[in-house]
Amino acid sequence: MELFDSLFLGLQVAVEPQNLLYCLFGVLIGTAIGVLPGIGPIPTVALLLPFTFGLEPATAFIMLAGIFYGAQYGGSTTAILVNVPGETSSVVTCIDGHQMAKKGRAGHALAIAALSSFFAGTVATIVIALLAIPLAALALKFTAVEYFSLLVLGLIAAVVLAHGSVAKALAMIVLGLILGIVGIDVSSGASRMTFGIPNLADGLDFVPVAMGLFGLGEIIANLERSPERRVVAQKVGSLMPSWADLRQAFPAMARGTAIGSFLGVLPGGGAALPPFTAYALEKKFAKDPSRFGHGAIEGVAGPEAANNAGAQTSFIPLLTLGIPSNALMALMIGALMMHGIQPGPQIMTEQPALVWGLIASMWTGNLMLLVINLPMIGIWISMLKIPYRLMFPAIVLFCCIGAYGISNSMFNVWLMLGCAAIGYFFIKVGVEPAPLLLGLVLGPQLEENFRRAMLLADGDVTVFVTSPISAVILAIVALLLIAMCSPKIARKREEALVE
Amino acid sequence: MTSRFDLQDALFGVFLIAVAALVFYATRTLSFGSPADMGPGFMPRALAGIAMAFGLFFAARGFSRGGEPIERPRLRPFVAVLGAIAAFALLGLKAGLAVAAVATVLVAAAGSDETRPVEAILFAIALAAASVLLFVTALALPIPAWPW
Repeated sequence: MELFDSLFLGLQVAVEPQNLLYCLFGVLIGTAIGVLPGIGPIPTVALLLPFTFGLEPATAFIMLAGIFYGAQYGGSTTAILVNVPGETSSVVTCIDGHQMAKKGRAGHALAIAALSSFFAGTVATIVIALLAIPLAALALKFTAVEYFSLLVLGLIAAVVLAHGSVAKALAMIVLGLILGIVGIDVSSGASRMTFGIPNLADGLDFVPVAMGLFGLGEIIANLERSPERRVVAQKVGSLMPSWADLRQAFPAMARGTAIGSFLGVLPGGGAALPPFTAYALEKKFAKDPSRFGHGAIEGVAGPEAANNAGAQTSFIPLLTLGIPSNALMALMIGALMMHGIQPGPQIMTEQPALVWGLIASMWTGNLMLLVINLPMIGIWISMLKIPYRLMFPAIVLFCCIGAYGISNSMFNVWLMLGCAAIGYFFIKVGVEPAPLLLGLVLGPQLEENFRRAMLLADGDVTVFVTSPISAVILAIVALLLIAMCSPKIARKREEALVE
Repeated sequence: MTSRFDLQDALFGVFLIAVAALVFYATRTLSFGSPADMGPGFMPRALAGIAMAFGLFFAARGFSRGGEPIERPRLRPFVAVLGAIAAFALLGLKAGLAVAAVATVLVAAAGSDETRPVEAILFAIALAAASVLLFVTALALPIPAWPW
């Protein structure tokens, strides 16, 4: 069985002592930044990226992935104890999780959140393994024509499913694509938009761009708001949930996992959508919906399972097709390229140890999270007491060091400064920066594949609709765009995302 | 509270128009080519055209309808955070990581109303020491640690 051989290979890679160590390192950092509101996984991954260059690619990715799903765990801790979402994905957990904490059942809520996440993480690992092989086989049939269409689908779908105005998100993608052009053109050797600056010849580094737009712009905006007073629930209470709790929570866990696994695969479905959908579904399934909002255990189990499952299955498009489904996956693509690995459909056959090692490490990582999280809850609580006035200067400093470290040049620090200003501007005018990052990372591939497709077809643009796979993909793109223009569906989408 | 224009839309539109204009200007000498044989100027100008269209749309919409006002921006956090980054970029290689880190943390801290001076100074020194140990000693980042 190919699947078992591959999983076995993956497990061998994942349990190598060095990989276990870096996995632990990743999930610990992930949990820490998940617990802390105000710093998310995107700037953290960007910051640590330069320091993974000395590592084996598999080890580096195991650690970076650990940061991402570790953050999902940590986010729920803050949501339950402080009623502030540590990450966007844990907004829903605040509702019932914090109510449970108020009733002195914080320990139970934390334990159920951790167990749900572990259960979902385990199932999602299997889902990834099952889907990866057929998808990768399909992807090997792709030429530049299909790949171009697929990139377009990835970009458009990520926008449609994310929140906020679709038109603005599309404009942001275009901005990202424009930034992706900066540098020396690979086929003609002409330098484009480098303004005579030699550092721009190799293109814009996406790490300083990501840290500026996501991390620092956010800090400036945070400092403008009056400081929030956080009340940390002091009593955690007993951690062990009773059998009755478990029996009540388990169906919700299973449903949440199913929803999360499905939505996570869709581009843009990554973080926010699964928990919201799971919560709405639990309310529908409940015999007595009025309990929701007053500490219903299903209201913690369902969304927590969904957000973890979604976080993990969002790796599927990346690993099989080389298409990122959200901004963080775009960072991962960039990281692959920096490690000299060309992302794309061939990655599974060319780098089996990396791909399967990463998949298997998600399971070992989830196990570590379950084991370390509950006993270490005291440490996370004390981290929550670090005031923002100390945290933000430290983040600024680490971003500077990270931007310098990416290519040991101060130019990137200046670039980050500019992006911080622009990131602040984007927050002020109410646009999400995530699509820009997707565009920046995918831009060069999009142009390259378009050019290759045109060469293959002698400049015949109709090739995109005469190739069957490409035609289907572009039809989906068209459907998505038409659906967005229809006011009725647009309203539905808004309701779904607001709820 | 609504304002006369939808400033968020309008400003974003103007920003897009400015970027598109900059791209057209910067790539004016690159050849456009044809779809079959794309020149280096093909993609930039095609994208700038789209950005221009989006920009005009948002600007027109923003100036033709009312909307929520933008929260008044405050200068202090903005200047402090950008100043902190600039301090790092200017000092990092010349004065070493230790000095640059202290300067960065202190300038950034000046951006918050909550900052307590003594605490900030002690914290800056502690962070600088930790950064030197972690990044220069442990991770061998090629940056001088001290001014000498």
